[in-house]
Amino acid sequence: MSRRPEKIAVVGRDAAAWTVAFGLQRAFGRVGVAVTVVDLPSLLGPADVCPALPTLGGLHRLLGLDEREVLASAAGVHALGQRFVGWSGGQGGFLHAYDSQPIGLNSVDFLQYWVKGRGKGLALELDEFSLGAAGARHGRLVTDAAPAAGLPRPAHGYHLHARGYVDLLRRKATASGATCVSGALRGADVADGRIAAVVLEDGTRVEADLFVDATGAEAALIGRLPGDAVEDWGQWLGCDRVLTASAPRLDPLPGYSQIAAFDAGWLGLYPLQDRTAVVAVYDHARQSDAQMLQTAAALSGLALQGDATVAPFRAGFRPRPWIGNCVAIGEGAVSLEPLDAAPMHVVQVGLSHLIALFPVGPDFALETEAYNAAIASHAGNLRDFQIAHYKLNGRSGEPFWDRARDRPAPETLAYKLKLFAGRGRVALYDDEAFQEPSWTSIFVGHGLIPRDYDPLVEMVGEPEQVRHFQNLLRLIAAEVRQAPTIAARLARP
Amino acid sequence: MSRPLDVVIVGGGTAGWMTAAALVGVLKPNVCRVRLIESDEIGIVGVGEATLPQMKDFNDLVGIDEAEMMRSTNATFKLGIEFLDWGFKGSTYVHPFGAHGQAWGGVGFHHHWLRAAQNGRPWDIEAFSYAVVASRCDRFEFPSRDPAAIEATYNYAYHFDASLYARYLRGFAEARGLRRTEGKVVEVVLHPESGNVDAIRMESGELVAGDLFIDCSGFRGLIIGQALQSGFEDWSKWLPCDRALAVPCDRAGRFTPFTRSTAREAGWQWRIPLQHRTGNGYVYSSSFISDDDAAATLMRNLDGEAQAEPRPLRFKAGRRVDCWRKNCIAMGLASGFLEPLESTSIYLVQVAITNLLRLFPRNPVDPALVEEFNRLVDNEYDRIRDFLILHYHANTREDGELWRYCRDMEVPDSLRSKIELFTRRGHLPQYKDGLFSPPSWLSVLLGQGLRPQAYDRLADNLPLDELFARMETLHARIDARTAAMPGHDAFVRSYCASAEAVRAPALAGADA
Repeated sequence: MSRRPEKIAVVGRDAAAWTVAFGLQRAFGRVGVAVTVVDLPSLLGPADVCPALPTLGGLHRLLGLDEREVLASAAGVHALGQRFVGWSGGQGGFLHAYDSQPIGLNSVDFLQYWVKGRGKGLALELDEFSLGAAGARHGRLVTDAAPAAGLPRPAHGYHLHARGYVDLLRRKATASGATCVSGALRGADVADGRIAAVVLEDGTRVEADLFVDATGAEAALIGRLPGDAVEDWGQWLGCDRVLTASAPRLDPLPGYSQIAAFDAGWLGLYPLQDRTAVVAVYDHARQSDAQMLQTAAALSGLALQGDATVAPFRAGFRPRPWIGNCVAIGEGAVSLEPLDAAPMHVVQVGLSHLIALFPVGPDFALETEAYNAAIASHAGNLRDFQIAHYKLNGRSGEPFWDRARDRPAPETLAYKLKLFAGRGRVALYDDEAFQEPSWTSIFVGHGLIPRDYDPLVEMVGEPEQVRHFQNLLRLIAAEVRQAPTIAARLARP
Repeated sequence: MSRPLDVVIVGGGTAGWMTAAALVGVLKPNVCRVRLIESDEIGIVGVGEATLPQMKDFNDLVGIDEAEMMRSTNATFKLGIEFLDWGFKGSTYVHPFGAHGQAWGGVGFHHHWLRAAQNGRPWDIEAFSYAVVASRCDRFEFPSRDPAAIEATYNYAYHFDASLYARYLRGFAEARGLRRTEGKVVEVVLHPESGNVDAIRMESGELVAGDLFIDCSGFRGLIIGQALQSGFEDWSKWLPCDRALAVPCDRAGRFTPFTRSTAREAGWQWRIPLQHRTGNGYVYSSSFISDDDAAATLMRNLDGEAQAEPRPLRFKAGRRVDCWRKNCIAMGLASGFLEPLESTSIYLVQVAITNLLRLFPRNPVDPALVEEFNRLVDNEYDRIRDFLILHYHANTREDGELWRYCRDMEVPDSLRSKIELFTRRGHLPQYKDGLFSPPSWLSVLLGQGLRPQAYDRLADNLPLDELFARMETLHARIDARTAAMPGHDAFVRSYCASAEAVRAPALAGADA
C-alpha cells in the first residue's frame, strides 16, 4: 500500500464495532475516508446490558448523540455508581459513586480527617459523605444541576440495554455515511503481515487500507497476524463464565448497579427502564452453569424471565493490539470483567486513541508503537482497579476468594495498596480511568483503612472538624431532597 | 496526639529559605517546629533569577504578598523565554507561558496552522500567541480572570534577584517564629543501627537533633550525599554544559518581559532584566571552550557596563538516586542539577516542598512515603531533562563542536519517540504529572526548526475559507489587544517599583 488510509473496514459486531464505526465516520467521513462495517452475527443475548462510566457521556457529546435519545433507545437508566455487597464477608456494603472526594479542610484531603475521626469513634462510613452515593441510594439524579457550594459535583454513567444501544449506533452510523456489509466471516487474505481483505461466507470480499478488529474474544483478524500474543490475566481474575438473565423492573429505580459477591464470583443487578439485567460472573469449576442460574435467582431475590445466556470469559490483554494495518478494539484487545463498566470503557479508549493517531501516511509504524504503549498503560490501570476488588476481599474460608486474596497483586497495584495502607494516599499513574476518589472509595469500601493519617490534620481543632462533617451531611441531605427521582427524570419530555 | 515533628534545615540558600518559609507559613507549631542552620561564610549559589508561573502558586500558598515580594527583590515580570540562534544561526522564537492559538473542532491549533501553510497561507505561528506578541513589544498586564477572554490565554512568572528573594523569605520566616542558627556543620551523626540522621554537630560543638533533616547544602549534599551516600545519576552525556560564568551589568537596552537565551559556540548566554540591573551569564561546556574564552565571549556580549568580574560556577547535570533517603530530604542543588535553560531550578524546589507537604511524615518515617516522594520527584526531573535535551539536540548549527555533538548524540528513548511523532504528524506529548505541557513542547519543537510532515486529518473538517477567516480574526484581535497593554517598564514602576530601581537611559528618553 502506498497511500494513507482512505478505506477503513470495521470488522466485528455489537457495541464495539458500531461505536468505532460511528466514531471514525464522524471524525473522518467528511474528509474522504470511507468506513465500511463488516457486521458479523451478533453475540448479544436478549438480556445483555451495557454498563457505562460517565466518560461515555463525553463520547456521546462528541458523536452528537443526545442523552435522552440514548436512554429512550436503550431503555437506559442513569447510573451514579456501583454498590458492592458481601465482598468483605459480612452483609455490609458500600457505594462507589462517580464522585469527587468531599472538600477537605486547610488543603488536606477529607479522607485524612475521616481516618482520624474513625479512630476516635466516628461511626459514619466514608460513602455517607458522598453526594453521588446518597443520590444513588435514594434513586435521585443529583447530577442535573451544580450542587450547593462546598460540595463537588458528582457524575453519572449509564445502564443501557445492549441491543437497543447497538441499534441506535447502527442507525446513526449508517445515517452519517458508514456502509454496512452483513454476513459471517469466512477468512482473510493476509500478506506481509497485513490484511488485504476479509472474505465473507457468501464470497463477498471487503478490501481496506486499515482494518479494525472488533470481533471480540475471537480476535478473528489480529489473531491471524504474525507477532500476535495474548497475556493471560486469569491468575488474578479467575472467573471464566458470564451468565446473563432478565428480571422485572425494579421500583423505585435505584441509581446504582448492585454487585454482590458469592462463593464462586459475583452477581450484578443493572436497573433498566423496562427490566433488570442480571449478570453473574463466576468460576464454573465451582458452580456449574445450571447451578448458577438457580443461584442467580436466589441471590437476586428476583424472578428471572426468559432464557438466560452463558458465555465463556477469560481476562487478558494483547500487548500489541495494533499490528500492521489491523487494530483490535474492545474485548479482543483488553478483556476485563463487566465490573466497573470496564468493557465499554476499553472500547472508548481504543477509539479515541485511534482517532488521535489516525495514520497520516502509508507507514503506520510510529502510530502503532505509540498506540500500543498507550493502550497497555490504560489497560494495566484498569486491570489493577478490577483486581483490587478481589485482592481486598474479606470472604475467608471460601477457596475462590481465599485464592484471590492470597495471589500477589501486580507490582503497580501492590505499590498503590502499600502507600494507601500506610497513609491513605493514592499513587496515580498516567492514563488512569479512575482518579483518586474512586481508588479511595473502593480501597476503603473493601476494608483497607489507612493505618495512619496526615499529621497536618492536627492543625484543625476537633470541634471545627465535627462542624465541617455535620455541614457536609446537611448539604448532602438537602441536595438529595430537591433532586428529581430517576424515574421522574426519565419521564420528563 | 503526637508531638510536633522537629525539622532541621541545613543551608540557607534559595532552597533552604523557601522550605523554611513554606513550613512556617503553612504549618502550625503543633505539627511542626522548624530550625534552619546556615553559615554566613558559605556563599549561596543563587540558583537562578528567572522562574516559572508555578512560583505564584507557591507564594500564594505560603502567604507572600506579590507586590511586596517584587519590590523587595527588584523583580520584573516574565512572559516566557526568547531563544536566539538555537535551532540555527539567525533563528528566534519565544517559549511563552501560554498557548499558540485555539483548538478548533477538537484539533490543536498548530494542525490548523500547518494546513493553512500547506494551502498557501504561511503565517508566523507566534502571531497567534498573545504572550509572544506582548513579549515582542515589551508589554505586560495581568491575565484576565475571564477564562473565555483572549487575555486569559497566558500566564506569567518573575525575574528576581535570588539572593534578595532568600533574604525576603528569611524575614518572612523569622517573623513567624523560625529559629535560625548561625554556624557551620562539622559532622552528621547517624544512628548506629537505623542509619537515620540523629543530629548534626556544629562547629561550636552544639549538637542539633531532629526528626527530619532537609539538606539544602548545595552541590556537595552534606547529608544526602556525604553522610547517607545517595549517589548521583550523571546526565552529562546528554547535557554536557558543566560551567557557568555570571555577571551583572547596568540596565540598558530593552526592558523585556522575558528572559533571553542566546546560543553561543559552546553553550548559551542568559539575559535577565531586573529593576536595578541586568543579570547575565554564559553556561558552557568545558570540553568545548576554555574558561578564558568563555569569559571573553560573555563580557563582549553585555548590553550595559559590567558591574563586577564574572563569577564562576561548576556543576554536573543529573540528580540524586534518592532525593529522600532515611529521614533526610535533599532540596535544591543537593537534590540534583539541571541547567537554568528553562528556569526550572526554583520550580524543582517547589515541587519537593509541595510533595513534602502532601506526604508529611511522622517519626519514624514511613518508607512508603519516601518511595512515593522519590517517584514523583524523579518523574519531574526526568521530564525536564528530556525537554532540555531537545533544545540542544534539535539544531542545525555548523559553528561549534558542542552543537555537532548534541545533534549526533543518542537521546533517551522517551525523547526520541516524542520527536518522531511530532515530525511525522505534529503529535504532542501529554502526561499527567510534571513539566512541560503540550503548548511548551510545541513552541520548542517548532522553534528549534522541526516541522511536521503532516497535520491531523481531523483538521480537514473545517472548510478552508472558514479556517483562513478564523485565523485572520484571531490574529487581528491579538494585535489590537496587545497594542492596548501597558509597557512592561511602566507596569513595573506603578505596581512594584523597588528603591533601587534604575531607569535605563534609552527607555527614560523614550518615555519623557
